[in-house]
Amino acid sequence: MKWTIVVGVKQVPDADEVGIDPDTGRLDRANAPAVMNPPDRDALEAALSIKDEVDARVVAMTMGPPMATPVLEEAVAMGCDDAVLITDRAFAGSDTWPTSLTLARAAEYLGADIVMAGEETTDSSTGQVPPGIAAHNGWAQLTYVEDVEARPEANQLIATRDVEGGYERVAADLPVVVAVAYGEFEPRPAPLHRKLYAENDFEPMQLTAEDLGIKDEVGLDVSPTSVGGMETVQPVERKSEVIDSADDLADQIQEVML
Amino acid sequence: MNDKSTQAAGATLLDERAGDAALEAPNYDNDFDAIIVGAGLAGSAAALTMAQRGLEPLLIERGKYPGAKNVFGGVLYTPTIRELTDLDSAPFERYIGEKRFSMLSHDDETAVSLKPGDWHREPHNDSYTVFRGDFDEWFAEQAVEAGATLVTETTVTDLVREGGGIVGVQTDRPDGEIRAPYVVLAEGGNSLVSEGADLKAREDRTNIAVAAKEVLEFPENDEAIEDRFRLVGDAGVSYHYFGEGAVGEAYGGGFIYTNDDTVSVGVAYSLDDAATKRQSPEETLNLFKSHPAVAPLLKDARTVEYSAKTIPEGGAETMPDLVHDGAVIVGDAAGLVLNNGVHLEGTNMAVESGYYAGDTIAKAAENGKTGASALQSYPERLENSYVVQNLERYAWLTERVEEDRDLLFEQLPRAIADASTEYFRMDRSPKATHAKAAKQRIFETLGGWKGATKLALRYRKLVR
Repeated sequence: MKWTIVVGVKQVPDADEVGIDPDTGRLDRANAPAVMNPPDRDALEAALSIKDEVDARVVAMTMGPPMATPVLEEAVAMGCDDAVLITDRAFAGSDTWPTSLTLARAAEYLGADIVMAGEETTDSSTGQVPPGIAAHNGWAQLTYVEDVEARPEANQLIATRDVEGGYERVAADLPVVVAVAYGEFEPRPAPLHRKLYAENDFEPMQLTAEDLGIKDEVGLDVSPTSVGGMETVQPVERKSEVIDSADDLADQIQEVML
Repeated sequence: MNDKSTQAAGATLLDERAGDAALEAPNYDNDFDAIIVGAGLAGSAAALTMAQRGLEPLLIERGKYPGAKNVFGGVLYTPTIRELTDLDSAPFERYIGEKRFSMLSHDDETAVSLKPGDWHREPHNDSYTVFRGDFDEWFAEQAVEAGATLVTETTVTDLVREGGGIVGVQTDRPDGEIRAPYVVLAEGGNSLVSEGADLKAREDRTNIAVAAKEVLEFPENDEAIEDRFRLVGDAGVSYHYFGEGAVGEAYGGGFIYTNDDTVSVGVAYSLDDAATKRQSPEETLNLFKSHPAVAPLLKDARTVEYSAKTIPEGGAETMPDLVHDGAVIVGDAAGLVLNNGVHLEGTNMAVESGYYAGDTIAKAAENGKTGASALQSYPERLENSYVVQNLERYAWLTERVEEDRDLLFEQLPRAIADASTEYFRMDRSPKATHAKAAKQRIFETLGGWKGATKLALRYRKLVR
């Protein structure tokens, strides 16, 4: 039986290009170019490495405006068999609860045996979405996964998880949601002809909230998160003192050390 | 096993789409009319020209975006680009409203400044400061809008040959070979593909200049650029410096160009000097920046960017064969750079060569012809253009200046500075005495009337 591996990817502002407005102290994300969430690249690699071993198809999905299509193209360029854009104005303002519900329904709709995603996104860092998908669907979950091993004959996935003082190997029955540890998988480069295809000729499948039957269960209104307030931390003033001679300096250091 | 039958309506959709052969194993061999190696100015000019003629070229760029890997001094000359596309949305910094040539000895400066009123009017003598990261990206976009396809983060590593002809390129990606009827090599001065494929000899270091450049901002002074360079509106300057105060004992020069809110400061000099005189680009640039005539212009500036590159300066003589069976060479890769001190040009010649190459390929494609003979009109047209004519016009100069370098860059600047000191000296002797002493100082250096006449004859072609 062919496995379907669905990989959640997200478009985020390029962290290397995010600046801090010196006047307001706020992150300036608007001017940063959009890129694929780096941990999701690891998730794609993990998914493709399973496909290298067993009969499977890998499908990337993202939830966002049509502008997010380039991350799907990148996924297809790397080797995904197909990609799905989940897009609807109804999704606007969704926090991790409706987001994970949407992705859970999409995974179900696509007939996923395995859902994979990066452990968290670099622009919000909650790490809540992969476990949320598992919870909404009542599926098994494997988090902070450093290595995967497919057991198609048992319909199981075995994961190596990072735990304090070592690692553990856990087997999960499918369907399962896997949150991949960032930095543990080296994303493969896109083959040239695939990259050309993905960027120039590929059109992702599109799904709306209605397709997934969750029209009234998404968006800002059903998002339980509320922001209590924001605070900018002021840098601590550091004491500085100029000491003219080495002897005085030695005395000072001694004083501090005692 | 989970029961997919009820929920997974999407799985059926995936199954239907999976039959697509393009999705399974895409292949673009001979799908594009031409492959262009490098989305710099020459490459994008070739791509834009071909796309405008109805061809579908593929531009392959190794950087994250076009311009990411490109370095130049800072002034772009735009007569040909203006012909090729609308410049209204082009990311210019400032137009050049003043050119200044300055001779620096150890601590003196003697300068000539040119500010024709015409330069302040459109199209500003087609001279603008730009950042390559912005401009090249914009220019490549024009090519893509016209119908070219751009692929980035892909490095061409070799050419693909079949039956002696060039039929495609090899890239660093998996499944990285791609074929097309024509290949344009626009890979820049460090032309590893052309050299590796024996289309061009490895350059001698005497024909290469090394350049180092910094972009500086003035964090505490918003008016620094307008005030120090006496600018209004979008006007800018290009300052050129020669002599030992600019590049020490090396053969070359320094420059300052004004951008919108930064300045570009750099030095360019013979790679041979960098090697034999142990003069590092960094030291040379720092020395130039601290010259008493330069330092006040840059006071309290902060470095925001540092870059370096090599410049092919061999001129017409070292140009490789520009046409091969299935491929042409354009821009810096073809050695199309003019640097004679007064004129510093390369990007305009890159665009010009890209345009002729693109146009030639479009005509060859129209006639269904490939091979070297079909592309022969590219070098012919280039030779009849200003590009090769200018290179040939100044071919003698580099050699001659090289012979006279001590006189021109060290002795003469000192003599001129000393002579001006004499000529304008304020003391109680009559002016006639000062003038005589000044003349004496210059003549000593030149070797009297005879020496002066000889020198004038040697360089008369400069103003011919």
